[in-house]
Amino acid sequence: MTILSIRNLKVDYATQDGVVQAVDGVSLDVAEGQHLGLIGESGCGKTTLLKAIVQVLPRNGRIVAGEINFKGTDLLQLSRTDMRQLRWREIATIPQASMDSLNPVQRVGKQLTKLLSVRGGHDKRAAKRRAVDLFDLVGLDSDRLSHYPHEFSGGMKQRAVIAMALALEPSLLIADEPVTALDVIVQHQILEVLRRLEEELNLTVMLITHDISVVAQVCDSVAVMYAGRIVEQADAGPFFASPAHPYSLGLQQAFPNLARPRDQLVSIEGYPPDLREPPTGCRFAERCPFVLDACHSDDPQLQLVGADRYAACLRSSEMDALRLQAEDPALWQQVEVVQATAGPQETWGDSASRAQDGSAEWAGQPGAYADAVATGSDSGADDILLELRDVSKRFKVGGGLAGLLRGDKEQTVYAVNNISFSLRRGESLGLAGESGCGKSTTGKLLVKLLDASDGEIDFDGVDLTALDGENLLGFRRRAQLMFQNPFEALNPRFTLYRSLTEPLIIHGWTDENERLERVVETLDRVNLRPAEVFLDKYPHQLSGGQLQRVVLARALVLQPDFLVADEPVSMLDVSVRAGILNTTRRLARELGLATVYISHDLSLLQYTCDRIAIMYLGEIVEIGPSQQIISNPQHPYTQALIAAVPVPDPTIENPPLRIREGVPRPTEQFIGCPFSQRCPEVMEACLSVRPPQVSDDEGHITQCHLYGEHSASPKLKDSNGTRA
Amino acid sequence: MSRGIANYIVGRFLQSVMVLWVIVTLLFLLFRLAPSNPMASYIDTEFTKEQEQALLARFGLDRPLHEQYVIYLINLLKLDLGDTFHYAGTSVIDILRADLPNTLYLTLCSLLLAYSVGVLGGIAMAALRGSRIERVGTTFTLMTRAAPQFWVGMLLLTFFAFQWKLLPSSGIGPAVVRYRWETEWDKLLSPIFWRHMILPTFTLAVYLHGLPLLLMRSNMLEVLDQDFIVMGRLAGYSERRLMIQYAARNAVLPVLTALTLGIGYSIGGNVVIETVFAWPGLGRTLVRAVQSADYPLAQGAFFLIALIIVIMNFIADLLYSLLDPRVGASAQAQIS
Amino acid sequence: MQQEAMVRGELRGKKTVQFRQGSALRQLWETNLEVFQRDKLALLGLFIFAFFTLVAVFAPLIAPNDPLTPLKDANGDWIKDVVPYWMAVPGEDEAEGYVNTFHLGTTNIGRDIFSQLIYGSRAALLVGFSAAIAVAVIGTVVGLLAGYYGGWIDTLLMRAADVAFGIPFIPFIIVISAFFDPSIWNVVVAMAVLLWRDSSRVIRSQVLVIKEQAFVSAAKVSGASELRIIFVYIAPSILPLSFLYGTLAIAWAILTEASVSFLGFSDPDTISWGYMLQDAFNSLALSREAFYWIVPPGLCIMLTVMAGFFIGRGYEEVLFPRLRRM
Repeated sequence: MTILSIRNLKVDYATQDGVVQAVDGVSLDVAEGQHLGLIGESGCGKTTLLKAIVQVLPRNGRIVAGEINFKGTDLLQLSRTDMRQLRWREIATIPQASMDSLNPVQRVGKQLTKLLSVRGGHDKRAAKRRAVDLFDLVGLDSDRLSHYPHEFSGGMKQRAVIAMALALEPSLLIADEPVTALDVIVQHQILEVLRRLEEELNLTVMLITHDISVVAQVCDSVAVMYAGRIVEQADAGPFFASPAHPYSLGLQQAFPNLARPRDQLVSIEGYPPDLREPPTGCRFAERCPFVLDACHSDDPQLQLVGADRYAACLRSSEMDALRLQAEDPALWQQVEVVQATAGPQETWGDSASRAQDGSAEWAGQPGAYADAVATGSDSGADDILLELRDVSKRFKVGGGLAGLLRGDKEQTVYAVNNISFSLRRGESLGLAGESGCGKSTTGKLLVKLLDASDGEIDFDGVDLTALDGENLLGFRRRAQLMFQNPFEALNPRFTLYRSLTEPLIIHGWTDENERLERVVETLDRVNLRPAEVFLDKYPHQLSGGQLQRVVLARALVLQPDFLVADEPVSMLDVSVRAGILNTTRRLARELGLATVYISHDLSLLQYTCDRIAIMYLGEIVEIGPSQQIISNPQHPYTQALIAAVPVPDPTIENPPLRIREGVPRPTEQFIGCPFSQRCPEVMEACLSVRPPQVSDDEGHITQCHLYGEHSASPKLKDSNGTRA
Repeated sequence: MSRGIANYIVGRFLQSVMVLWVIVTLLFLLFRLAPSNPMASYIDTEFTKEQEQALLARFGLDRPLHEQYVIYLINLLKLDLGDTFHYAGTSVIDILRADLPNTLYLTLCSLLLAYSVGVLGGIAMAALRGSRIERVGTTFTLMTRAAPQFWVGMLLLTFFAFQWKLLPSSGIGPAVVRYRWETEWDKLLSPIFWRHMILPTFTLAVYLHGLPLLLMRSNMLEVLDQDFIVMGRLAGYSERRLMIQYAARNAVLPVLTALTLGIGYSIGGNVVIETVFAWPGLGRTLVRAVQSADYPLAQGAFFLIALIIVIMNFIADLLYSLLDPRVGASAQAQIS
Repeated sequence: MQQEAMVRGELRGKKTVQFRQGSALRQLWETNLEVFQRDKLALLGLFIFAFFTLVAVFAPLIAPNDPLTPLKDANGDWIKDVVPYWMAVPGEDEAEGYVNTFHLGTTNIGRDIFSQLIYGSRAALLVGFSAAIAVAVIGTVVGLLAGYYGGWIDTLLMRAADVAFGIPFIPFIIVISAFFDPSIWNVVVAMAVLLWRDSSRVIRSQVLVIKEQAFVSAAKVSGASELRIIFVYIAPSILPLSFLYGTLAIAWAILTEASVSFLGFSDPDTISWGYMLQDAFNSLALSREAFYWIVPPGLCIMLTVMAGFFIGRGYEEVLFPRLRRM
């Protein structure tokens, strides 16, 4: 039975620059008991759709046309009060960033009981009982009811929000990005809660996300939204096996997949159309590799293309053939056009030849850069560019005069503990781990944004801590950092030219012409073409993907030989992520750059890195060649991390996790193994003896007692991970 | 958790004591190192050297500066502010003790009035945001903040006291009546006293209501923008409930802090109003002491006002940490 | 505003490109433009300041009489307590020995109120603008130093701000005024000594935010020196805040100067609006209902102070968009 039926819904936003048609003729059915995943990138109208369903659009938003039928009543005809009564009783919506959606100055339990009494009509005692039950349902300890939101971790807050959403026993749950911004292990556990609730409560769920692997894990049907329209709707099985719209095809191949690694990810280049003046033809035509002339004039409607599946594409009948072609990343690369927002729309078919021109000139630039590239291609023992020996970083928190006055006890945070590794010229290394594991701190140590508390970091044979003055400036030229959030990484007050030319000015390039030449060349390399168009733009005039390319260009403008990329694509839309990764990877290879990628996403690291290091509480617990780490993880923590990564394939179900969420605060040093608190394999020795580093021939090092002399030490937990 | 708050409170208290000590020291230096000799106006040209010395000795001004400083600090700790120059034998503390209640009545009444109007007005302005009423309302409030208090007082006096003769123009009551007030209670129970309070209270409130109103309005707008309000709306709470129980409840916390701070600053700022209405309070005493170069009295009044401000700043911090559960915790552990 | 640097260059020896480079000053200028374009009240405030500045500059040309000299009529008597000519009732307010041309009448000792009002704008604006500059400069420097360097510099400066917060403002100015020779500069000095406390705290917290932003780290990684980071990256971002506190300081300074003059701690040889009101108050103008004497100076104070508030509010709405009237 259809519980929610949307027909031809149109929603407009009135903005200063015109009317944005955010949702433009969406029709969608959700059957009772169905678990629908609504996929789309930012700005496609998926959140607007949610807000329109429960009618909480912002002031400038307006439902222009359409029907929203819920259990037979048109929601758009309801009075405001009736609509309000429906919310959370019938349709429960969990907003985006719902972790911040709890009232910060009220105890969580109070918020829950208040909801139950005000909206649910429970009396005080019944509300309290029900609150305990609900917390139990989502896997929270009922002691937690008396806590304030700031005492909860991200995952706990998300659980609490889910408990609240279910409090009034709704028949439909709509969750907007419920696991975005959570660590992979927490994410896995929240998804597990959702999956369990779907079954136990027979909930109808609509899950809105940009992440197709999340959908693959919890949904049985899929709708893909693009530029205000639904472009494909199907059951999960057939959808993942054979997408029926070029956009879905691209999305699927843009995702790194741990289970099926590929050489080259597909990047859907270009950007969605301007919804103030949507194109007359197909909205995806500009970015589609299969585009025909007709696509620009004919607007394809969502139509039946197979058993119970719908797609909006003129070429849907040829889809089987197209699907085979789509496997080839080069096909998608042909449309690698990165247009300036305001610039003319030109296609640069000869991008490959231009890039080669660039590299020839590049090598001829002043400085010792060409030499570095030359040596980078050799391999030998003195090939080591960077070497860390027992590096630690501690921060003191509290304390000081102010702390003393305030009565705070000084605390030490052990952010990085005794890590050692080396990096060859031209090599790429991935640092992975949950947030708080010290991977970003390590990144900052590597480019000397922070100084190590202990240990040595040798860069080309020189210890970083000893650098100052001219030598430091020399190091600064050679080591660069690429930032996570491209919207913050560029000075909003500078034009792009100013931002890109700053490093050159600092390093004594006095000739404006030379600087300009270099800047234009670098922009060209990162595929921002024509480069001249970008020079006088301000950051806010560019999209996230373009900005991240500018950030990359700034890192490369000094022609460094070492680059640290801290979560380089986590803020970007899926469709452009692959483009940035591909460009970075290509340039690193071309220029012989040694690269350290920092990411919480193992599938991304597998795609970009030669080697991967897994960090936990400031220590490297396992390091080795990427393939080995992914396919043959040794450390229980690495095993858990890999098991938690959702796979964009509904036929592969993630194994149940054997560790609990929540990284302890690194405020004490461990005598034994730092992971012993959470480890499912924990043994007596783990608590008291430091684990040994066990290495194999291929440089796969694991720091764990399971593989050392204490491997026979008595286990403390049974096979289910509960304490024996 | 509670340990965090306790630590925070103790720390804040120590900080306040330090601040007070610095202020007291500055005050000492200001009055001792002032370009004009503090005794200049007091010492008669007819005085002999001996008489002058005796006088200096009486006020301890013949000793070396550091000794004076120590004596001064010890006296302050004993709340001994010395004798005034002008009314021989009257201690400063007695005069201030008589003034302080009058200042407090005036300040508290006007703040109460101003903050009630301000908080409600701020909620209304936030609810009506974007409307013509809001634009006119906030502009009018800005005008009241821009009008000098003494001028508003003068205009009100002209109308209510002189033209229409509805209310008394100055003081707290005629001498004959004041004579009969033996205790504070007599004064507080007297309708005459309250009649005298109306104009100064109202004048002060006209000025003071602007801060809570604008603060409440902007806090409301900020809170209304927060995710938990959005979720409350999704959860089906009524707009009225969201506005009052959610937004206003959270938005009022900084206003309460401002109120606490306001008590301190109004006591210091009442100087002008007390002069216009000849209100026998701390401020007027300070002005008259400075005008007549009665340095012990001026110093004492200044000290008392500063003390009240520092105490109120301290209480504001406390209040904030008690009302907002996040404060104590963040002070305890700023761990990233 | 300054001419913005243009970049001209040849690209691969073929193509000539030319474009704007962008500068902090240009951005500041744009912020200012935005403030006055989107907020009509802020524009009104600007006009009020402009108007009073003109009045202050050309005071000797506008004022018909010397503001301090008591006027005498042909018989040698003081022309005192004269009502404005447009209020004069024929038969009652007869002028003898002089022609009543006084726009706002005369004081109880025969000084021309209108001329005093004109000259009063000088004191107000002088105090307002110099205090604003002092407060903005000190607050910005302290905020920058405390926020950027942190550590003991921060502790020291912020504890100093705590002390400044503990000192009662008006009483402090009264004491200062009494100790030094009466002068309008007392108000400026006292404001400079105390009022940096608000602006420095806000600017400090803003610096703390900016300094953690990735583009500042990027500059560091590129090898930018500390001075370059402070002056090229951080300072331009907080200048609008300094402007905001500067305009608010104008308002507070004018208001404070008026209060101090009203209490009688100003230089009797400098005419200010507060002094005029004190004069009126002390010569019992209230009981005579001499509105022509009481109202104009107060209105002028209110207008100029409001102008400062309006402009400050305009800045606030641009700097803190959440407060915008939606």
